[in-house]
Amino acid sequence: MLLNFERLGWLKYVLLGITLLTALFLLLPIIFIAALSFGSSQWLIFPPPGWTLKWYSDLFADPRWLSSAWTSFRIAAIVTVLSVLLGLVTSFGLVRGRFLFRKTLRALFLTPMILPVVVLAVALYAFFLKIGLNGTMTGFVISHLVLALPFSILSISNALERFDKSIEDAAVLCGASPLEAKIRVTLPAISHGIFSAAIFSFLTSWDEVVVAIFMSSPTLRTLPVKVWATLRQDLTPVVAAASTLLILLTVILMALFALVRKGLKS
Amino acid sequence: MPSVVALPEVATVKRREFRSTLPALLFLALFFVVPVISLLLRSVLEPQLGLQNYVELLGSSTYLKVFFNTFMVSAVVTIVSLTIGFPVAWTLAIMPSRWAAIVFAILLLSMWTNLLARTYAWMVLLQRTGLINKMLMGLGVIDKPLALVNNLTGVTIGMTYIMLPFIILPLYGTIRKIDPAILQAAALCGANRWQALTRVLLPLTVPGMAAGALMVFVMSLGYFVTPALLGGTSNMMLAELIAQFVQSLVNWGMGGAAALVLLVVTLTLYAVQLRFVGDESEGGR
Repeated sequence: MLLNFERLGWLKYVLLGITLLTALFLLLPIIFIAALSFGSSQWLIFPPPGWTLKWYSDLFADPRWLSSAWTSFRIAAIVTVLSVLLGLVTSFGLVRGRFLFRKTLRALFLTPMILPVVVLAVALYAFFLKIGLNGTMTGFVISHLVLALPFSILSISNALERFDKSIEDAAVLCGASPLEAKIRVTLPAISHGIFSAAIFSFLTSWDEVVVAIFMSSPTLRTLPVKVWATLRQDLTPVVAAASTLLILLTVILMALFALVRKGLKS
Repeated sequence: MPSVVALPEVATVKRREFRSTLPALLFLALFFVVPVISLLLRSVLEPQLGLQNYVELLGSSTYLKVFFNTFMVSAVVTIVSLTIGFPVAWTLAIMPSRWAAIVFAILLLSMWTNLLARTYAWMVLLQRTGLINKMLMGLGVIDKPLALVNNLTGVTIGMTYIMLPFIILPLYGTIRKIDPAILQAAALCGANRWQALTRVLLPLTVPGMAAGALMVFVMSLGYFVTPALLGGTSNMMLAELIAQFVQSLVNWGMGGAAALVLLVVTLTLYAVQLRFVGDESEGGR
């Protein structure tokens, strides 16, 4: 009874009510920010007295916003490439190998996912201070790669586990070299795993703020650090404009992800 | 390209497969294991060898208040998320899939939206002149604005918002796997709705609830951004304390000690969870 929607009776309306309210609760801040970014009130009064594009033109007029976005993008792009490459090589070893401690190794590779980010941030900050990587592009890339790699390994190994290795062996028997077989047979078959690894790696780096706060210098800042620093001073509507653009990017990436998954099914 | 096909010996292949995990292993050893362990070591080495940092950390009322705040906020966030999350997950599991798809899209959108953007939204919504206070006053619930931000109330609201999807999604999976026939059987045996809920449906979802609740609790314990922005300076949580020791006070010994406490609690709870999930999958077989 309780698991049959049509036969729930009045309980059905109670449950639907709670779900509707929760959905609204989850949606409220996102819509609110998008609306505020077009509102003319400096003090973020809602509903806004009028509508304007001022905050967007302020955002694009300030070179610090643009340069931090560009820094974020470059770091995220490099992290994505490295994370996918390293994730691919590692996944082959983890999935195909039958060596001792394979499970322990897999657990070690996934630990950065469960470790509180602040601990990693502080630890890397101390380490980079010693070896002079603080406030550098390399420092950013390394620290974000530590965070992105587990997602990449997870997505790619899952795809690889579902791939039947005998197809690759067949290609080798038909005269392909082992490397050629991997590149022309196996990689296309696990492309959805590679694709999710890329998206997760990119977003991990692009959205990351805690480690970035410790890695950044006055001259090298990512977009989240710029937002963070601005928010610590005041709640300017320019942040609403920046946030709205970030939300738009999320929606686009989600749509892209859904499209690719749909394309793979059909 | 070799013209003769020779499949390499199986043992060699497997050894080579191990070799391909070495780059990632080296990378993580150098930039993950070594930095974390050396940070933790500093807690017993600085300013001199000994446990003085731990004595200070666990002996001072200022720091104990931070631990208390952290555990309280995490516990309240977990309980509230579970209370809201259970009915939502239940509804999602049985409602027509077209509607469920819309709710899922909203869940994913909120999860994937930049954390700072979401926190900023709550900073604005909860401020004294913000929409929430205005609405409550308009409805006549309160006469003057409530202090909803720069305190633990704000942190709890903001964190619950962030954690809800993390509890709804695993619970949804658990409820989906329950065979509706079990509840029909309960009804046939004379159970009323309340009995079917408390004696059949809820017990069957306990593994999912425990897994989700532990995950949310552990994530909340180490959260940094939302408490720092919504909590204000006088209501610190553990992650902020670690950052403060290192950034403003440059006290690496204390920072390392606080990090170790957070790490030990986190890893212990994860071990509990792994054991739990392990038992569940064995029971399923």
